[in-house]
Amino acid sequence: MRQALLMQKLPICYLLIGGVACFASVITDYQQVYPRFSILLYFGYGILRLASFLVYEIFMTNTELWQAVLSEIELSISKANFITWFKNTSIFSNKNGQVIISVPNGFAKEWLENKYNLYILRALRNIQEDIKTVSCIIAANQESTEKKISMVDAVVPSNNAFFREKRAPINQESNLNHKYTFDNFVVGGSNELAKAACFAVSQNLGSVYNPLFIYGGVGLGKTHLIQSIGNEILKNNPEHKIKYITSERFTSELIDSIKTGKIRDFKDYYQKIDLLIIDDIQFISGKEKTQEEFFHIFNHLYQLNKQIVLSSDRAPKAIQILEERLKSRFEGGMIADIIRPDFETRVAILRKKALDQEMEINDDALEFIAENIKNNIRELEGAFNRVFVSAQLSKNKIDLNYVKKMLSEIISSGKKKGVTHKHVIKTVSAFYDITETDLIAKNRKQEVVKPRQIAMYLMRSELQYSFPNIGDRMGGRDHTTALHAYEKIAELIEREEKIAEEINYLREQLYSIN
Amino acid sequence: MKLICTQDNFKKAIYNTERIVSKQNTLPILNNILFEAKKGFLVFSATNLEMGAQVKVGVKVEKEGKITIPAKIISSFSNNLPQGDNVLIESVEQGIKIKSGSFKAIIKGVSADDFPLIPKKSSEYLLNINSIDLKNILSKEMVSVAQNEARQELTGINLILSQKEIFFASTDSFRLSESRISINKENINKEVFEAYINKKDSIIIPFGTLNEVMRIISNNEECDVKITIESGQIFFEIEETKIVSRLINGKYPEYKHIMPKDYKTRVVLEKSVFQNAVKMANIFASGKSGEISIKIDSGVKKIFIGASSAETGENSTELKFDVSGPSQEVILNSKYLLDGINSISTSKVAFLMNSESTPIALKEINEQTGEVLHDFTYIVMPIKN
Repeated sequence: MRQALLMQKLPICYLLIGGVACFASVITDYQQVYPRFSILLYFGYGILRLASFLVYEIFMTNTELWQAVLSEIELSISKANFITWFKNTSIFSNKNGQVIISVPNGFAKEWLENKYNLYILRALRNIQEDIKTVSCIIAANQESTEKKISMVDAVVPSNNAFFREKRAPINQESNLNHKYTFDNFVVGGSNELAKAACFAVSQNLGSVYNPLFIYGGVGLGKTHLIQSIGNEILKNNPEHKIKYITSERFTSELIDSIKTGKIRDFKDYYQKIDLLIIDDIQFISGKEKTQEEFFHIFNHLYQLNKQIVLSSDRAPKAIQILEERLKSRFEGGMIADIIRPDFETRVAILRKKALDQEMEINDDALEFIAENIKNNIRELEGAFNRVFVSAQLSKNKIDLNYVKKMLSEIISSGKKKGVTHKHVIKTVSAFYDITETDLIAKNRKQEVVKPRQIAMYLMRSELQYSFPNIGDRMGGRDHTTALHAYEKIAELIEREEKIAEEINYLREQLYSIN
Repeated sequence: MKLICTQDNFKKAIYNTERIVSKQNTLPILNNILFEAKKGFLVFSATNLEMGAQVKVGVKVEKEGKITIPAKIISSFSNNLPQGDNVLIESVEQGIKIKSGSFKAIIKGVSADDFPLIPKKSSEYLLNINSIDLKNILSKEMVSVAQNEARQELTGINLILSQKEIFFASTDSFRLSESRISINKENINKEVFEAYINKKDSIIIPFGTLNEVMRIISNNEECDVKITIESGQIFFEIEETKIVSRLINGKYPEYKHIMPKDYKTRVVLEKSVFQNAVKMANIFASGKSGEISIKIDSGVKKIFIGASSAETGENSTELKFDVSGPSQEVILNSKYLLDGINSISTSKVAFLMNSESTPIALKEINEQTGEVLHDFTYIVMPIKN
């Protein structure tokens, strides 16, 4: 409704603004030639300005009007009173000088009509002079008019509420979310291998790549990929028994079954599955009993050539406190990693999203988003949605400038806010299991040299510290030391994948500190 | 303000209003009860802005006036007042002086200017229900109201008006209670009623409001309760006490289709025996959902109620009752079942079911004829194995 109003007033506004601009330019021209007439022109200009102001006021939406009234009333009464009486109020209608205010209950109705009537009327008149009366209506009444449609919608799911217990298992059966399919997964260099492996698995269940282990950082599409396997199989063979579960849920189910003495059922259930997908398997690290049960289930399924798919945020050997026998089993099948998407993939993902939403956005703008949001896809989607939704609301055309404006906050403050050299030192020393003092101490012990260089590298690459500054922070070292460290690690990253992986992991850790 | 009031009237008025005061303190005056002396009456008002109560009692007014007094203090004072002497109230600087027999107190108050206005009804009453009937219905319905605020519309009791009957229903989506009253000349205001049901036939009354209505009815002699419904508000008149409350905004789920029309298996049980057996099974029921199993054997005309869990052990009660229809077995939540049995007001109860996965029902049995009564139905969803 508000949009409709906006649309109505737009042409008038344009006309007026055009008029004002036109007059303004005419004035400057005339001033030079006929200085005496200019006074007349100024007069005309003034009238136009006034008219455009009035048009704005008259066409002000009810929401805007009420906002203005509230902010005025707020000044004249106490905060407690304001909150009590004006919460959840709005203008219900505004016609022929009669304003009807929608209020949440009878008490507010009585109070606004009898005590605050004058305040409200005065505040309304300040903005819209022709208002004569104010009355209130209790909000419940609205359902008979405009709210009706939405209410009917809201009731549809509740019809089945009574059967919720009954309906749930159908969804629970596989636990898969239908929105994740191979079709809507955007493939790029960073996830090509993982996608190919998953697809192959979905075509030949249990016979190739068993178990399949997918790992990669947060928000890169692991869950999407592994659920796609399940959905693909369900599409082709609905009778297959598929279970998708997070390792956390798996653990709590196990605990429950131990508690109620139904461990037998638990095992039986899992040993009958054709495709077992466990997400975020790294969380079973340190949980011995879960690992043991999982080990048995794993072996059983593996023996029967049933497919197992696992995902984790790091490679099996990097998962701490994971039993050796499990580790070696995880590594026995196929391991595929997903790394951060490259620029082209990010652009492709955004294009696909834009296409899905039927949104018009030019390439510059898309590339700007892709260039600035690098860390993961979830963030990329977040940024995209932010632009999309705000553009939809404000009816703005999406171009580079608009996107820049919308995302300036995320890009400038976003990730880097609050991360300092202290975080780097803490993260690095924790990761390599050395103390912070050792990290910045003046010695050249073999085991601390590399971490120290990595810390310096991160300070440069992530925080953009100057080399002398880095030297200072690392226990008063020379800036050339820092420079050397940076160059050395930068070069190592190119050559050694292990280092690159470690740096990536550290980077994630760094930003997950709040 | 200066007046004399009988102690009975005073205590009753305080009792009927004290609980309605607000618990939150954005507006401190809502913790108070308003005393308003005017033309031979003293009116007590209290509100929490969701509902309000007003009690009008006849008193001897010597000087008119009004003031608000903290509900907590005045109710404690009134509760501890021994039976007997009249109550004398007189306003003093920033408070009231109150005197009864040998008890005397000065209670600090707040000026009445900022006390909310209690909405007044503008139309004639719609329903006129005997207070004992209403109390019976509400006590049955309040059991099934959802306590969880997640779904606003389930936190109240649904009142459905039709040409011939009035239904009260409540559900928390696991069980459902429905009570019915037939319409006759006395219990409706014909003109208003017909005009009303053309516009709207279903409203949701908040649990808290009905709880308060119940409390007031229970403290009162048998009388008629007049109910008026206006836009978004409901008014109850219980003799000299008036309650006004907001209604819950929203549409109550259609529940009629959930209730089975026929039942294959029927068992008529002695209420107290059944109650005991379920309580016993509850001791051994496992988990949070308190699962107990009920087995009906139509061959030997017996019903077995039992439970088992890994920690506590197991039990079984064997009852011999009149069974008709095929044998059945069902797993139920013991608490929900017990709530239903407790709601039955006759000495015998009918246990009705179709299968292990469809709703089971409890109904009352006519004491004389032994027929199943349909005025009250309690439905529970079985737990799936």
